[in-house]
Amino acid sequence: SATFQAYAKFTGAPLTVNAINKSWKAPKGEVPVLISEDAVISQPAKILNFLRKQKYNADYELSAKQGADTLAYIALLEEKLLPALLHTFWVEAENYCSVTKPWFASRIPFPLSLYLPGRMSREALNRILLTRGGPPLYSLTEVEAQIYRDAKECLNLLSKRLGTSQFFFGNTPSTLDAFVFGFLAPLYKVCFPRVQLQEHLKQLPNLCRFCDDILSFYFRLGVSGHSPAGQDSVDANLQKLTQLVNKESNLIEKMDDNLRKSPQHPPRKLTTLKLAAGGEESNLPSRLSP
Amino acid sequence: AAEPWPENAALYQQLKEEQILLSDNASSLAVQAFLQMCNLPVRVVCRANAEYMSPSGKVPFIHVGNQVVSELGPIVQFVKAKGHSLSDGLDEVQKAEMKAYMELVNNMLLTAELYLQWCDDVTVEEITHPRYGSPYPWPLNRILSYQKQWEIRRKMKAIGWAGKSLEQVLEDVDQCCQALSQRLGTQPYFFNKHPTELDALVFGHLFTILTTQLTSDELCEKVKNYSNLIAFCRCIEQQYFEGHDKDSSSSATSRAAKRSLLR
Repeated sequence: SATFQAYAKFTGAPLTVNAINKSWKAPKGEVPVLISEDAVISQPAKILNFLRKQKYNADYELSAKQGADTLAYIALLEEKLLPALLHTFWVEAENYCSVTKPWFASRIPFPLSLYLPGRMSREALNRILLTRGGPPLYSLTEVEAQIYRDAKECLNLLSKRLGTSQFFFGNTPSTLDAFVFGFLAPLYKVCFPRVQLQEHLKQLPNLCRFCDDILSFYFRLGVSGHSPAGQDSVDANLQKLTQLVNKESNLIEKMDDNLRKSPQHPPRKLTTLKLAAGGEESNLPSRLSP
Repeated sequence: AAEPWPENAALYQQLKEEQILLSDNASSLAVQAFLQMCNLPVRVVCRANAEYMSPSGKVPFIHVGNQVVSELGPIVQFVKAKGHSLSDGLDEVQKAEMKAYMELVNNMLLTAELYLQWCDDVTVEEITHPRYGSPYPWPLNRILSYQKQWEIRRKMKAIGWAGKSLEQVLEDVDQCCQALSQRLGTQPYFFNKHPTELDALVFGHLFTILTTQLTSDELCEKVKNYSNLIAFCRCIEQQYFEGHDKDSSSSATSRAAKRSLLR
């Protein structure tokens, strides 16, 4: 879901991140889910299509060929990088037990926290084995070796494609940048005990710079902002929202101080005051005087 | 230095007229096109148990000297190790692009073909089940067919395609073709003057889709919307396939017959 948040940032779409802590509550049990007015959309490509139709299009400036390239590179990411990512997060025993599972379980309520991480882990392993397993790779270690080889090659290809540009298509970010960011950022930022893919990524300075740039421009997270769990951008957004709410509550508190002399004004009215902050302030003195 | 390519190199696939399915035919044609483009002659041998002979369980596979290699990716690498390559002239960025587009074709076109032939009930009943097990007696033919279907459906479920409807799958095919068409533009090949393994792969899939009769024409129509892709297929067929293999001459004419039907 880091992909959509990045996309939303790029296009300025007003996207409120609701950390869905009950995956089964998400309408079809899939996360991420976009809920807008009465439409509920759950699959990645559909979410992006929806955003585009609402005129939040990060690809406006792209030529037809660049649009085609986007699809191709996304396919590359899904085929070559995703299995290794899934493995790093969900299957690799040390990583799963020490990082992914505790973090995930802390975000969802008991008793779901007992069941859901295990299910996601099994599904990840299942997906890896079904799509990449099979002869001539007969054991899990062989499959793992192959998927990490593919992932490293994919990272190398991305690095070559990015070169020295800031984004994949020039100076403004597009859907492809959102996708690449979505795949790379968790890998880059999360502190794992078993880090072979992360180390490989760190050897590709332009990709690291790409992630850092997006994080600092669009998510206002410092370069050294490490958080002990994945989904940094969710935290970042929540932080932002909290800050905004704090600012507003500071404003409310100020007005509250003014109104403290007249307790018959219930706090609820503060919201209307807040909305029309400029005009109503002049009315305050008149209300204050009993 | 290029190693000599043996004269008796053979490519194995299932029986052409009765058994082979859309997706396997596409993969086989892609490899044949690739080898033709490299100027490496290969005999096409049809065997009912080709799938089981293959080291990875997938067709086609080639038998060169005393080595057996299956699927386009490994075959390209094998051929490169022998000193022949179509993509040496590309720079790093182009190579990355080529690989990305090949994944796009595998991700969307091949998966859509597999979906159509194993998850669409009408096609399964009328085409796949009868064809897949045709060389074997009852009940083996049915058992093998169901086993394969179960396997493919499991895979579809794992990658999230099981929930898709046929319309959505066709939409994906359309999107993929649109991307390929936009990338190809007016050039003869994807990387301008010389064909690469990407051209072979795209040709294999598109040509097979265009020339295979299924229960409905919807898949074929999606590809036909893009005239530059049709021209691309014709061009490669003329350049690399006409008058080359004797044992594919009957199928070439049957293909031509199908194409004239579609015109």
